[in-house]
Amino acid sequence: MDGMMVTALYEVLLPQNIFASMVGVFFGLFIGSTPGLTISLGMVLLLPLTFKLSAVTSVCLMLGLYASGMTGGSISAILLNIPGTPSASATAIDGYEMAKNGRAGEALGVAVASSFFGGIFGLTCLVLAAPLIARIALNFGAPELFAIVLLGLTLICSFGQASTIKGLISGVIGLIIMTVGLDPMMGTPRFTFDTIELQAGISFLPAMIGLFAIPQILVGIAGKVQVIPEYKSKISGVLPKIRNLFKLIKAMVIGSLVGTGIGAIPGAGGPIAVFLSYDYSRKASRKAAGYGKGEPEGVAAPEASNNAVAGGALIPMLTLGIPGDPVTAILLGALLIHGLIPGPLLFQQSPQFVYSVFWAYLVANCMNLILTFSTIKLWVKVLKVPERILLPIILILCVVGTFALRNTFFDTGIMFFFGLLGYFMKKYGFPIVPMLLAIILGPKLEEHLRMSLIISQGDYSIFMTHPISLGFIIISIFSFVMPLIKPLWRKRKADSR
Amino acid sequence: MKTANIITAVLLIIFGSYYAYLTFRLPTRNLPNTLGIDFMPWLLVVSLFILSILLLLNSVLKATREKFDPKISLKEGMGIIILTVLVYAYVQFMYLFGFVRVTPVFMAVLMVMTGSRKWKEIVVLSIASPVVIYVFFQKIFQVILPGGTFF
Repeated sequence: MDGMMVTALYEVLLPQNIFASMVGVFFGLFIGSTPGLTISLGMVLLLPLTFKLSAVTSVCLMLGLYASGMTGGSISAILLNIPGTPSASATAIDGYEMAKNGRAGEALGVAVASSFFGGIFGLTCLVLAAPLIARIALNFGAPELFAIVLLGLTLICSFGQASTIKGLISGVIGLIIMTVGLDPMMGTPRFTFDTIELQAGISFLPAMIGLFAIPQILVGIAGKVQVIPEYKSKISGVLPKIRNLFKLIKAMVIGSLVGTGIGAIPGAGGPIAVFLSYDYSRKASRKAAGYGKGEPEGVAAPEASNNAVAGGALIPMLTLGIPGDPVTAILLGALLIHGLIPGPLLFQQSPQFVYSVFWAYLVANCMNLILTFSTIKLWVKVLKVPERILLPIILILCVVGTFALRNTFFDTGIMFFFGLLGYFMKKYGFPIVPMLLAIILGPKLEEHLRMSLIISQGDYSIFMTHPISLGFIIISIFSFVMPLIKPLWRKRKADSR
Repeated sequence: MKTANIITAVLLIIFGSYYAYLTFRLPTRNLPNTLGIDFMPWLLVVSLFILSILLLLNSVLKATREKFDPKISLKEGMGIIILTVLVYAYVQFMYLFGFVRVTPVFMAVLMVMTGSRKWKEIVVLSIASPVVIYVFFQKIFQVILPGGTFF
């Protein structure tokens, strides 16, 4: 094991992988600091570039983006009160107040240092928990794996959505889309309309690019382009003093704990974690009165939290194959392209790769710390790049990226179809993440379900006789049914009053 | 919002019915003691119907608290149609003439659509961006870009 860890470290430290990590961090800082561009969008734009790269280089590139995107989001949140990413929303509360009081440099310094702390905390939890969970999950058979995928899907569809019903509908439509193509057990064509291209099914990459990038482009190009105000003041004193950072340790630990925990729950995600961290940190602080008026702890807690979310979200993705958030879903897609199937077997079949992921995430966090501190003034200038330039370039990258998958324009059409679908879904209040997750997890769900029933010779009680499977199914039903009944129950209660 | 949800629910039921019709027409080639290829689709049909009816009920009973703006302005609607046509044309022309030759024109048109009026900026960026993308994708990362049928 030790030998494998050293080999994995050696591989991650190869020049091309360090370069990939650096490119990922730079791109992540760009994406994160530009309001309107999300980390998910950055990931899908980078994905086509990884086709010809090795799996480890691809992971270095994408984890670099993941780590730095979260940090980059805080720059516009602090300077302009416009969060670069949804996960930087809570940072804006105190960060912007600090900037208004001429402490922009200090706020940025605290944000970067806290992000590093949160990232390393999340990574430590990942390294400690992942092998343990994977070892337990190795004993799982088809019924348990079916129940886990079902639980992951229902949690993502129902947790944190404005409308649970719409979240579930989005998930079901994603599953319907995945039934297109050859049947996974017998190879019989389903819903292919005699089209050769559809026999291979709908690839998740064009769907991902379409769902994440195109709605944003449509709103920007067809609707109104966002005008970002300019930050004119000078920024100084970015490098924080160690003494001052020690005073923020409590807020950082709270943020990291909440971030890792929330990140590990599929579907919960960064925006929930940062506001919870902010709230818990305020309640636990002696300086609670200063929160909202420019308190550095109010920057440290959410910033540690949003970077810890990344480590937390990697736990279920690597060990069970269930992504914790949209970004890890895209990362999962990238691994699938390289023939690596995240889940307990990954730890058994490719342990060295798993160690490479750990090291790559460590390198990404270190690189993020160094590069952000040394180039922070550049990212302040990036805020000035207008959407009228960015959006056309993103659209071209989307077209090129989908073409590159199989060298066919059919996928470009699929991408644009999903883009239009995503646009209308957003307009009508349907979340797109459940659909994306269903597209990725759908085939696994069907495969494990049918495999279980082959094992039991068609006996459905197989899911009830396996305690773990039964437990997960009960939680799934609970998370599926409760949010559906809740609004009707609430309405009835209000009427009776 | 209520009307939008009701319309959506009805559309979903229509879509579900069409999917059910397609599922009904699937060939039956089953191995003994296994689920047929139509098992999963039927499960999804039932789920979609139940959820659509729940969405309908929730909307009628006003039990939902969500907020969204389903309105699409005429400008936005026209923009979407024009952009769809443009992307279609871009793909068709790229198929014939290749990425490097067609993209500058497409980029320039998009920049004008998004409100760029400085012609120098449009010319420089619409030429430079495709070249940078080409070098990055094809030369550095060795990802093949459309070369065009005529070239």
